[in-house]
Amino acid sequence: MTKEEVQGATEEEQQAQSKKALKKQQKEAEKAAKKAEKQAKLAAEQQSTEEDDFAKDRYGVSAMVQSQQKLDRVLVKVQDLTPDKADQLIWLRARVHTSRAKGKQCFLVLRQQQFNVQALVAVGDRASKQMVKFAANINKESIVDVEAVVRKVEQKIESCSQQDVELHMERIFVISQAEPRLPLQLEDAVRPDGEGEEEGRATVNQDTKLDNRVIDLRTTTSQAVFRLQSGVCQLFRDTLINKGFVEIQTPKIISAASEGGANVFTVSYFKTSAYLAQSPQLYKQMCICADFDKVFCVGPVFRAEDSNTHRHLTEFVGLDIEMAFNYHYHEVIDSITDTMVQIFKGLRDNFQTEIQTVNKQYPSEPFKFLEPTLRLEYTEGVAMLREAGVEMGDEDDLSTPNEKLLGRLVREKYDTDFYVLDKYPLAVRPFYTMPDPNNPKYSNSYDMFMRGEEILSGAQRIHDAQLLTERAQHHQIDLEKIKAYIDSFRYGAPPHGGGGIGLERVCMLYLGLHNVRQTSMFPRDPKRLTP
Amino acid sequence: MPMYQVKPVCGGDIQIDLPTCMYKLPNIHAQQEHSCTSEHALQNGEVDPAVKALEARQDEIMRKLYELKAAVEGLAKTVTTPDADLDLTVSSSLSPQSSSSTAFKGTADLDTLLGKDLGALRDIVINANPEHPPLTLLVLHSLLCQRYRVLSTVHVHSSVTSVPPQLMSCLGPRHVDSYARHLFQLGFTLIWKNVPTLQMKFSIQNMCPIEGEANVARFLFKLLTPYPSDPAVATLVDSWVDTAFFQLAEGSTKERAAVLRSLNSALGRNPWLAGPEFSLADIACFCCVQCSGSASSAPANVQRWLKSCENLGHFSPAKLLLQ
Repeated sequence: MTKEEVQGATEEEQQAQSKKALKKQQKEAEKAAKKAEKQAKLAAEQQSTEEDDFAKDRYGVSAMVQSQQKLDRVLVKVQDLTPDKADQLIWLRARVHTSRAKGKQCFLVLRQQQFNVQALVAVGDRASKQMVKFAANINKESIVDVEAVVRKVEQKIESCSQQDVELHMERIFVISQAEPRLPLQLEDAVRPDGEGEEEGRATVNQDTKLDNRVIDLRTTTSQAVFRLQSGVCQLFRDTLINKGFVEIQTPKIISAASEGGANVFTVSYFKTSAYLAQSPQLYKQMCICADFDKVFCVGPVFRAEDSNTHRHLTEFVGLDIEMAFNYHYHEVIDSITDTMVQIFKGLRDNFQTEIQTVNKQYPSEPFKFLEPTLRLEYTEGVAMLREAGVEMGDEDDLSTPNEKLLGRLVREKYDTDFYVLDKYPLAVRPFYTMPDPNNPKYSNSYDMFMRGEEILSGAQRIHDAQLLTERAQHHQIDLEKIKAYIDSFRYGAPPHGGGGIGLERVCMLYLGLHNVRQTSMFPRDPKRLTP
Repeated sequence: MPMYQVKPVCGGDIQIDLPTCMYKLPNIHAQQEHSCTSEHALQNGEVDPAVKALEARQDEIMRKLYELKAAVEGLAKTVTTPDADLDLTVSSSLSPQSSSSTAFKGTADLDTLLGKDLGALRDIVINANPEHPPLTLLVLHSLLCQRYRVLSTVHVHSSVTSVPPQLMSCLGPRHVDSYARHLFQLGFTLIWKNVPTLQMKFSIQNMCPIEGEANVARFLFKLLTPYPSDPAVATLVDSWVDTAFFQLAEGSTKERAAVLRSLNSALGRNPWLAGPEFSLADIACFCCVQCSGSASSAPANVQRWLKSCENLGHFSPAKLLLQ
């Protein structure tokens, strides 16, 4: 009985329990059913969408290009997309600059260097809803291949460089995906300085830009700056080669400091140490002594100056000229200034779009110059400064603020941003500078200025070993250290002169930028070694 | 001497081998002798040259201040009494010297005209549009060259793409000494530039730019010879210059014909436009008549006058450009 009772009780209990459990189970079952239903629904949906997605082979992330096949597909450049390509079906590879979905449409701006074009995909008989969604979700800065029809537009697209056409996309494949979070936004990086603050929008500071230089270099401004820089180099080479100059290469690892002892980088050189060349000066001069007549070189120079200013770098590209002349060192000045004028003219005539692009972000007045270049004498410069109220001695060197002031005064009077200041006091020039034949206080040396900042410093060099020794002794330079230099003039040397300019500084000043780091691709300064 | 003297503790002539890695200081022990002599010099009533220089500088500043004060007072006088004539000294400095009619031997002195010499070239900068070459100024330039050592340079501004070669050589061949700017008294820098009106700049600090060919011509002419002291003649010259530039050069054919008629009658009375002496009026009118191309159709007196102008030989630079 008791057993039964017990059994009964337990049964009851069990029943009671099972009731609860049942309820639970029921609920769970319901849940599961719901879940299953949902899943089924989803699956069905998916299936239906998969079924529906008639355009599924028209978009996607394509396999990594490992050179599996060599397609003969012709890719059109964005800059060539003009109205005369209208209604053609073309392939194009570009970056996604921006994407914006709007209902059943998605607008992309596709960018190639400084050129961009609007592209759109809309739900229709060629594109499915999924394709539009896919296009809208491509990360910015990804690289895509697009097949599209070029269409003329009635209203100009103001935001793009190709204003007269847009692309109607037929296929879109992602070739290389960018990470969703960019360290800086391109639009922010090209925003003019003042504008961001006014409208409360972001601007990117210099260091962020330089830390992420690869992205910063993609901006239209950077593209234009470095295209222009390449133009400067090209024009420099072309002009000088036309003038009969020879391009030379000089060593950058040298045994002794060329211009005085300071400011050189020491590098270990096997069991001893060596220096990084501060300027190719010595080697240029040796080439002149070796009868090359007129030489130039383009290459890096190194300055170990711990100065963190807007115009100093520790490594920069030097454009150096040295030439033998016949009777007067003004022949050298004329050659150099004419080269500079040819560069300025070439930039003015062939790089107007680049200049305009940079001006959008960094407005500046167009660079003005005279042909032939204005040449003033140092005493005149000093007189102009004195007239403006500056107190300075006849033989004092120009301080940086005075340089700038003089630049403003010269610009005011002659309306030129480029001029030569000739006949510097001998006391402020290096020992190898040739003294003036008529006045021992002055020398046959010159500086060239762009927008009031010095870009070139040059002189007639002493080509006589005897005089060079005297001058070196006067400057208390250890003759042993410069023996090789002096010796190179012992076997007959033509009278010669020259100078060197910094490529980055010329670009900066031509464009009216305020920091030389903007015109150096991967700048090196006392605080930056990377990237 | 207020204090007794002690013999040097150590001789000043000890040679010490000092390292060269640091900057040098004079030996303080060796200096004693020197300081003695300077004290001695002072006792003799001689003054340290540095103090002298300082005094001279102070005197100079005071003198300048007095000058400035006088100038301001003079100005104040003219302001408070508007009828008062210009200071006598000013007009007397412009006093006429009967200069012979064509040589311009006047007393014009660059220091008084252009301000004190600061030891550098006084450069006159002229911005001119290559579409309208300033013939008058070229003539005046060649006259200036006869009188002063003038450094002439021609530049092209970047606002102009190309300039015909004759405009680049319009100031004549390069001076043989042009490499040494300090050897010249006056600079004449012509810049071909895209400017609406001709412009002249001289001193940025003390002078505003002078606009218009007529006004620049007046300025340059004053460097050659003082203006006639007789206000009537001076006004006559001025009015002819204005007539030349406003009516001959820019006027309609009708206006031009009228000017030629009045030139004709004026030249009937006098050999030159402003009386018995060759003046700026003749230069301006000659250039503008040539420029407007009405020389061949001019009346008899004008023709005769054009001939005598040409005989002076001043107009060759303008003639070169007209061809």
